[in-house]
Amino acid sequence: MQALRTAATGMAAQQLNVEVISNNIANMNTVGFKKQRAEFQDLLYETMVQAGAQSSDQGTVVPTGVQVGGGVKAGSVYRVGTQGTLTATGNKLDLAIQGRGYFQVLLPSGETAYSRAGNFAVNDQGQLVTQDGYLIQPAITIPNDATDISISKSGQVQVTQPGSPTPNQVGQLELVSFMNEAGLLAQGSNLFKESAASGPPTAGTPGLQGLGDLVQGYTEASNVDAVSEITSLIVAQRAYEMNSKVISTADNMLGVASQLKS
Amino acid sequence: MDNTLYVALSKQMVLRRELDIVANNIANADTTGFKVESLMESARPSAPAFTLQGPRPVKFVGEDGVGRDFGQGSLRQTGASLDLGIEGRGFFQVTTANGPRYTRDGRFQLDGTGKVVTEAGDPVLDDGGGEITLNPQDGPVLIAEDGSISQGSSRVGKIGVVNFTTLATLQKVGDNLYRNTSNQSPEAAAGVRVRQGMLEGSNVKPIEEITKMIEVNRAYERISRMMDSTSELARTAVSRMGRVQ
Repeated sequence: MQALRTAATGMAAQQLNVEVISNNIANMNTVGFKKQRAEFQDLLYETMVQAGAQSSDQGTVVPTGVQVGGGVKAGSVYRVGTQGTLTATGNKLDLAIQGRGYFQVLLPSGETAYSRAGNFAVNDQGQLVTQDGYLIQPAITIPNDATDISISKSGQVQVTQPGSPTPNQVGQLELVSFMNEAGLLAQGSNLFKESAASGPPTAGTPGLQGLGDLVQGYTEASNVDAVSEITSLIVAQRAYEMNSKVISTADNMLGVASQLKS
Repeated sequence: MDNTLYVALSKQMVLRRELDIVANNIANADTTGFKVESLMESARPSAPAFTLQGPRPVKFVGEDGVGRDFGQGSLRQTGASLDLGIEGRGFFQVTTANGPRYTRDGRFQLDGTGKVVTEAGDPVLDDGGGEITLNPQDGPVLIAEDGSISQGSSRVGKIGVVNFTTLATLQKVGDNLYRNTSNQSPEAAAGVRVRQGMLEGSNVKPIEEITKMIEVNRAYERISRMMDSTSELARTAVSRMGRVQ
């Protein structure tokens, strides 16, 4: 009976939905996290009677046909790239991107990853690194005797040093953008990698070429909205229950058929 | 002879098909742009049965077609700039490897070269039937209610929304796509509004489907009982006649 298999696809789809929602809720307080959504598509249809088929020699046609669908599948789990709210931290090395763009992070493997989490720190050599200690590209070294760090909207890093009345520029931060940000591959730890779907990265100065501005002393909060996630969770649970009802109905009908007296 | 059993069986076959369709509706209660379907039944007159009272009409149950309710699904906000919902009667046009397809699932994105594509990577067409290419560096994408796309202050194209005179000949091919099976050509849709940052939800009403499912289930049981009592009748008749002999 097709209904049994159809309902099973419905339950599997809702299970995936709950997994995506729970990941969103778990990452509600992750810096730079972008929420994900599971989107569904209908499965192949079995055509019993073709619409438009000839139904008589007089040229009349079947107006609608009979098509029975095979259920649902997960079309995609995509990332919603809307801006998260900026949270003031007061930390001089926290940077939020207001608008498009990603920071470049050099992985220990030599590959470049991309991130919107701008909660940076300095390592023992004074280099600007992520919370995992990976170097930010282009590399920026903060001198040991710097008394103050100021990072401009366009990414200029300036430090105040004793004995120098004017601040010294120690580097220029870059951002990269992609044609299709939703196509980036999530690597965990707030990092993404380029893929064929995302297109190659284009580097540029913050604030130019459609890239966002940098905001010092702030981090970008996740764009997860708790209320809408909980609502989606309730919808997913009810949908799951309804699909299980279909299974028990189909099972009951099969039971009735097998109990016919011969 | 045995008409009862065969008529009952024809109804049971239709009921099973109906459950398959209800199951598909429920499974797709959360599918973007899904349109609810229901089975249309009809009586199929056949040769009359000859009884002691003379010929009596016999009608089997047949399935006529699947009716699709193209009513508007509720629009829900997603915030993504290339998520588009259609308000009114119309479809987006998509070019797939198998030819042109139509969809109400407006979950679009840019591919690596800046082309507007569906989630499967198939290009979405504009009002002239061409592909649409955007450059995200030119600023945020704004799509007006009539489908015109602008970036910054310049207009860069228009999303094509088409309609058909008869929607019944559209065939579902899965992946939220429809195929045009007739020779009517799509025409620019009138009176539709494109909503940016929204997606059209499925128009399945779960309560209706669950109710229909209960009806199907009970009808199936009822007919089974009728089949049981018919064969019981035959059995009794045979044994009684045997006693008379």
